[in-house]
Parts: sequence; C-alpha cells; structure tokens
Amino acid sequence: MIRLPNTLAVRLTLWYASAFVFFLLVAFVIMYFFMNTVLNSRIDEDLEEDVEEFQLTFETNGLEGTNQEIDREVMAGDNVDKFLRLLDPTGKEIYSSSKTHWENLYTDIDVLSELNEPVLVDFKLESQEHTTRAIYGNIGPGVILHLGESLEEKEEIMEILLTVFAVMSLFVIPLAYGVGRFVAKRAVRGIEAVSQAAIDIEHGRFDHRVSVQGSGDEIETLANTFNTMAERIRSLIAEMREMIDNIAHDLRSPLGRIRAISESALSGTQNDRSDAKEFKKAASDTLEECDRLIQLINTTLDVAEAEAGVANNVTEDVNISELTEEACELFEPLAEEKEITVSPRLTPGCWLRGNKQNLQRMLVNLLDNAMKYTPTKGQVNIKLDRNDDEIQIEIADTGMGVPLPDQHRVFQRFFRCDQSRSQEGCGLGLSFARAVARTHGGDIDLASTPSEGSTFTIILPA
Amino acid sequence: MRILLIEDDSVIADFITKGMKQAGFAIDHMEDGITGLHAALDGVYDLAIVDLMLPRLDGLKVIDRVREKKINIPIIVLSAKRTVDERVDGLQHGADDYLTKPFSFSELLARVEALLRRSSNTVEPTSVSIRDLTLDLLARTAERAGKKIDLQPKEFSLLEYLIRNAGHVVSKTMIMERVWDYNFDPGTNVVEARISKLREKIDKGFDLPLINTVRGLGYVINK
Repeated sequence: MIRLPNTLAVRLTLWYASAFVFFLLVAFVIMYFFMNTVLNSRIDEDLEEDVEEFQLTFETNGLEGTNQEIDREVMAGDNVDKFLRLLDPTGKEIYSSSKTHWENLYTDIDVLSELNEPVLVDFKLESQEHTTRAIYGNIGPGVILHLGESLEEKEEIMEILLTVFAVMSLFVIPLAYGVGRFVAKRAVRGIEAVSQAAIDIEHGRFDHRVSVQGSGDEIETLANTFNTMAERIRSLIAEMREMIDNIAHDLRSPLGRIRAISESALSGTQNDRSDAKEFKKAASDTLEECDRLIQLINTTLDVAEAEAGVANNVTEDVNISELTEEACELFEPLAEEKEITVSPRLTPGCWLRGNKQNLQRMLVNLLDNAMKYTPTKGQVNIKLDRNDDEIQIEIADTGMGVPLPDQHRVFQRFFRCDQSRSQEGCGLGLSFARAVARTHGGDIDLASTPSEGSTFTIILPA
Repeated sequence: MRILLIEDDSVIADFITKGMKQAGFAIDHMEDGITGLHAALDGVYDLAIVDLMLPRLDGLKVIDRVREKKINIPIIVLSAKRTVDERVDGLQHGADDYLTKPFSFSELLARVEALLRRSSNTVEPTSVSIRDLTLDLLARTAERAGKKIDLQPKEFSLLEYLIRNAGHVVSKTMIMERVWDYNFDPGTNVVEARISKLREKIDKGFDLPLINTVRGLGYVINK
C-alpha cells in the first residue's frame, strides 16, 4: 500500500475527492431506484389496462372473441415476451397463447381462490433469463385472465444505466482527486508561505515577511498576525542588542576607572607617607566606582522586575499628593543650588491604591531627570490634578528638550540623549518610571520641544 | 558585647570581623549553618549576623531553630538576593533586620548598634547634643553655642540622625531610609545638597565644622 505523506494538502484532497465520489454515488443510487420504480409502475399500469380491455372484449364478444383477441395480441407483435391465458377459478386452463417460450409456466392457486381486484405477481422461470411480471384479473364470470410480460426491456435499461455510471466513475474519480488537489494546494499555499517565513526567521533572517495580497481571508489574517509578531521580535532584538551594548559600555567605564585607579596606586613609588595617602584615596575612589556599579546592576534588576510586574506587589492606599510634595521637597536644596524655580501646584488629598515605594521612586526619577536637564535659573513646574477616575501628574521643565526622533526612545533602558554618556546617571530612571506607571494601570507620555523644554505626563487610575 | 557571625564567604567574614573588632566588639565567626547553629544555641551572644546561603544548613533554617529554642537575640540577615519578597521572608522567619550584599561596613555597624540599643531598652531622650550643639526633640528646636538655628523639619531630622549616630559614619542610603523613608538611592546628589545646606546653617561662623564627609562612605559628626 502506498503511504501518502500526512500533510494537510493531501488530507484536504482526499476529503474533497471522497466527498465528491460519495455524493455522486448517492445521486446515482437515488436515480437508479427512481428509474426502477417509474418503469415498474408503467408496466403494472399496462397490465392493468390489458385486464380492463379484455373485460370489455369478453363482455361484447364472449369467450370465443376473447380467444381470438388473445391470438391477435400475441401474433401481432410476434411477441415471445408475453403470454396470455384464460383460467377458471380452480386454476384449470381454458385457453392459452403459445407456450414455446414459457415452459413450466404455473398458476398461483392461492391467488385465484379469492380474487376480486386484479393481483400482480413477480416470478422467474428457469427457462427465462429475465424476471416476469404477471397479473391475474377477472374478465367475466368464472373467467380469469393470466397475463405475463418479461421484464427484459426494463432490466436492460437498468443495466445500461449501471454501465454508464461505471464508465463515468472511471473519469470522475481521478477528476475529483485532481480538482481536490488543486483546491487544497491553493488553500495551504498561504500556510506554506508563513511556515517558510518562520523557518527563515529561525535561521536568523529577522527581516523576512510574508507577502500579503489583500484578500482578507483567514490565511491572510494569519500572515498579518505573523508579520506583526515578526516585527515585534525584530524590534525587541534590536532593542536588546542596543541595551547589551549600552550595558557593556556602562560596565566597562567604571571597571576601566577602577583598573586605572588601582594601577596608578600600585605604580606610585614615593615615600611611605605619601604612598599611604595615595592608597587611601585610591581605595575610596574604588569604593565610589563600586557603589556606582552596584547601583547600576540593582537598578537594572529593579526595572526588569517592575516591568515584569513581579516586584513589590504589596499595595496599600497611597496619598499621591503627599508623596509628590515630599519628592518636590527632596529636591529643594538642589534646586536652590542651581537657582531653579520649582513650583508645585498639587491638588491635595488624592489617593490611589499602589506600591508606595515604587511610586515614590517614579516621582523622584522624573524630578531628578527634570533637575538634571534644566539649566541654571530654569523652571520646573509640577502639577497634580484629579479628574473623574484619573490622577494626572505633569512635570514640566525648561531644559534642552528631546529631539523628535529620540522622544519615543527616552523610556528605553539605558537610552541617553547625550551619546557621549558623560552625564551622570545610568539611563534607567525613565524606564523604571514608565514600568511603575504601567504596573499601576497607567502610563507616562513625553511632549517636548527641543531647546524649550519637556513635559512628562503621568496618568494613573485612581 | 559579643557578636556571632555565620558566613561562608571568608573575604566578607574577614571584612566584618576586622571592622567589628575595631569598633570594640567581640566577634566569633562560624563557616557553616550547623556549627553556627550550635554556637547560637550556646546563648552567650548578644547579636547574630547570619548569611542566608550557607553550607550544611540554610540561614533561614538556622534562624528558625534559634527562635524555636526561644533565644531572642537580635539577628541581622545578610543576603545576595535583593527582592522585597526575600526581605519579607527573612523578617517573617524572625530576623530583625536585613542587609543586601554588597553593603558598606558602616551600614552594617549602624544597624548592629541600632539593634543593640533597641534590645537594651534605653529610654528615649528628650534632647540630643554634640559638643556645643543641642537639639530639643520635643520642641524640635536647635541651638549652637546658645544661638538659635532655624531648621526645616527634614533638616532637623537629618541632624538628629547624625547626632544619634555621632562617631559612626552614616551612608547616603541610610539617610534616605531613616530621614526620608525612601528605600532606594535617588541617584543624584540630593543628600549632598541637603547636607551642604545644613552645614551652612550650623557650621557657618564656627571654626570647627561638625559635619564631615567621608569619601565613598557617607557623613559623620565626630564625637
């Protein structure tokens, strides 16, 4: 037995072909039986009509006239397919047409004894190839007509019908398979395209996309979904690569500094006292660099945790107005140093359910960002409002602003507008802030005009 | 005062042992959970510092056994894991404080002293002073050499915290935690700015500055 590959295309083809053949068969069977019934009933009608005719003949011409009529009937068509007999109610033959072709013809005595209406019977004689349909009917007092007709003609028609069907099947079955295969191929072509694209992506060609014709069917929906997913993967990988580059850079610089500090401390060969002083300074510099590294690693983990929404899932009722006020107060001395005017306009008594520590940190990060990028004598305006079921916090600075192409990237981990990365900070503050806003069911938006300032708007559901 | 240290990392253990001895404590070091537990059950220690990832017996189990035996010495947990769940877990097992590695020694020392102070049940003072500077904790006023100093509430709390820890360096993290109730480092120099503001108020016009910066560690008011 040939084993076909178990693919969807093959299965679809087989289903299609089988369904086609099955319905063809059903149609034929129905037609066959319909034909058979129609032909049978026509023969029966003929026989019944004959009985009626002979009744009339017997009535007008008597037994003799009837006998003549019988002879005429059989002779006329030279009809060997037919027999006609006259019987009395006991089954005794009164008259009969030629029995050359009707050897062993017999009489159903049971039927004769209580015959009122004409009775139809089927029988098959050994000498005959085909079934015979016969009728017993009263044509006069004590005279019964036994009339039989071979079904040869009808059976031949049915046989032709069978032959036609068989021949037709020979053509139709392969045709059904062919059409099925064509339809199935067409149906799975889209799936094959998607699967090919998936294989390409697996081999690292992340920019491969499934071409879409615009027919809007399910396969195309699949292709579109797949393309969206592929695009998301591509951008995630790009983001991740950039992030890894940035992390590497951010780790390498403090390590480089630590290395330089230690090396220069070791190479100093002056007198003991100045060496001791040198070592002490080297140690404290190293400590500072280590702290920076530790903080970088911790913050990276915090952002990852906040983004995954797993960390600090302890929630409580938080007075966000108070939290914002405290955060503003924290930056007061810093603002004074830089002569920055900090003007908070906070609607008091706004509460929301959330994680206090993360919300504090979100606010501090945004304020820190504003302070960092606002020049001396600048302004930072903080506004907190509540409308309906939302709390909106706006932190606007008069800093250098963010160039348009970078605006959507400021929330990315390790992103810094200043590519030299000379500014203090690790580029994680805004990522953390956004992650927190999102885990609280809100979000942060940035609106910025370069060289005029930036406004961060936090929306939190109350 | 006698401290028990259960820690398998010898570098960290040496670092703590050396520091604690310098700070005037007696300290014993055990390298694994089992010997550590036996030592703790001796009952001669005033405080225990327990690392969580220990050979032979896990740190949390050590704490469980110690608490089962009704030994109520203060315990500080050290761990490289830093999620809040871990912290809560440690505290629920009966630890009194939790410190994430890496940590600065001054931070550990401050926490040790705070726990020992707490367990010795000293009565809360109504005023603290250092040299010629006095803080009235009830009226929340400050005076240096008889001259009243105007302080903002946070400045007052910061100064109080520094004076209470006089002689010990307090880190920026500790200041953020205790004075602002922020359990994270805001990154920029908000503490520095606040300290320099405070300095201006209390040290300006005096020959001897009270608040000193210890580079890489934090701030200290010397006794």
